[in-house]
Amino acid sequence: MIDSFASAGDKPSWVVVFRSATRLMPYLYAAVGVIAVWWAVVLILKPHMSLLPSPLLTAQTFVQLVKSGELPTDAAYSVSRVVVAWLLSAIVAVPLGFAMGRWPKFERVIDPVVELFRPISPLAWIPLAILWFGIDEGGKIFVIFIGTFFPILLNTVAGAKNIDPVLIRAGRILGCASDASLFRKVVLPAALPQVIVGLRVSFGTGWAAIIAAELVAARSGLGYLISNGMEVLRSDYVLVGMVTIGVVGVLFDAVFRWVDSRYNWMAE
Amino acid sequence: MNIVGSGAAKPLSLRGLAKSYATADGRNIEALLPVDLDIAPGEFLVVVGPSGCGKSTLLNILAGLAAPSQGEARVGDVLVRGPDIDRGMVFQDYALFPWLNVVGNVEFGLERKGVPRRDRREIAMRYLAMVGLAEFAEKRPRELSGGMKQRVAIARTFATEPSIIFMDEPFGALDALTRRHLQHQLLRIWQQHRKTVVFITHSVVEAIYLADRIVLMTARPGRIKSVIRIELPHPRDPTSDEFRLIERQVYSDLDEELAKSFHMEGHDSAGPAAMP
Repeated sequence: MIDSFASAGDKPSWVVVFRSATRLMPYLYAAVGVIAVWWAVVLILKPHMSLLPSPLLTAQTFVQLVKSGELPTDAAYSVSRVVVAWLLSAIVAVPLGFAMGRWPKFERVIDPVVELFRPISPLAWIPLAILWFGIDEGGKIFVIFIGTFFPILLNTVAGAKNIDPVLIRAGRILGCASDASLFRKVVLPAALPQVIVGLRVSFGTGWAAIIAAELVAARSGLGYLISNGMEVLRSDYVLVGMVTIGVVGVLFDAVFRWVDSRYNWMAE
Repeated sequence: MNIVGSGAAKPLSLRGLAKSYATADGRNIEALLPVDLDIAPGEFLVVVGPSGCGKSTLLNILAGLAAPSQGEARVGDVLVRGPDIDRGMVFQDYALFPWLNVVGNVEFGLERKGVPRRDRREIAMRYLAMVGLAEFAEKRPRELSGGMKQRVAIARTFATEPSIIFMDEPFGALDALTRRHLQHQLLRIWQQHRKTVVFITHSVVEAIYLADRIVLMTARPGRIKSVIRIELPHPRDPTSDEFRLIERQVYSDLDEELAKSFHMEGHDSAGPAAMP
């Protein structure tokens, strides 16, 4: 099935490199702008170092934390928690979403439950997660599971529901006699772009929620780096943690965009 | 070629085939009154009628996408019970799978029939060449014009070698020039392959241009008003006197019915004096 999707590999490689470089430019402008304002504030207001260190000092701390291995370890903890919880979430939400999208009766039963739980922020689950799982990995994974579940579910439901009925009829006419073959050959590929959107969005919400979970209950991870930095009055640790969160988030989003452009038949 | 199955044209017989719906408030709507009809193997039958006459309902039942309320349809000896790849269908809105490229769409039914991968490509390319789109094999459906999409859909349907093909207003969404071109191309393909074809349209000229026999249907409730055999040799000239004569006859039958239905809706009952 993979080979039937659009291939992006027919452009010369230097064009691809040039294009990705062009796409990075707005991020560079943004970074330069933020650092300029930051530096101006430090120069004009001269805040105490424990409140707002200069960009230079922060960069030095960054290099030092990378060298000591602290930052890569914390980032790896956070990323692996999100990835595990997000995968668990996808394993449950994608099949459930297809079932709800294709079987209206089933949806009518499940939808009220979903609507009841959906407005509850994953952060509101942190206290229960601590009570139930302590500050072990289980608690963080539970919170991220909640945070990633609904975007995946709702996008999958929408994707499965909005399939043009004439494509279903065409599939049946062209030999998809069983529901299983119709699902594999028509329903799944037709809904896939929307499922990918859900996976991408949920990774973002999961990444935002992990920091909050680690702020409250962790001995590792970027959230812990930040909260610990606050406790020992090292705002440079806090800032290094925040910058890393931003950069890792952008990197993952770029990966998802690439996957999307490769496997999304709706993409140009 | 036999790898794809016999594909020999089969007759189609309808016995007392009817469809009615129950509305939300419990009333019974007759969409289609009982129809009896025999379609010969290799015949090109065109069903013409105003919208709401049940012609799409009829086609969906014949294709096995909907169940009749009464009666039955048989292809050869086999009772129509559900969709079957032996009965092809071309839809008005093309129904190409947007995630597959052009040749992938044509291969879809072949894959479902269990044709080996290597043969699939070869057969699909042959049918794409038949509709003049071999060089578009790797394109996406969205890169094609409406007329080209419908040619892909026609190739996809003929490629599975069905013994009967249903066409639901296949050229209804196309401009007049493209439409003419495709009618001509379809006739050529039909003459080569001799499938049984049931074709739905609301264009009288299209019906006379294509049909061995025209079935005229009337609306509310849908039923067969008359059956007209067209003996003109192909290719038919829509400007010839014989063609015009048949056209006039069909329109006079249709006008009578349209006048009735307009009258029911409270409009002026006088039909148009001269058509088109």
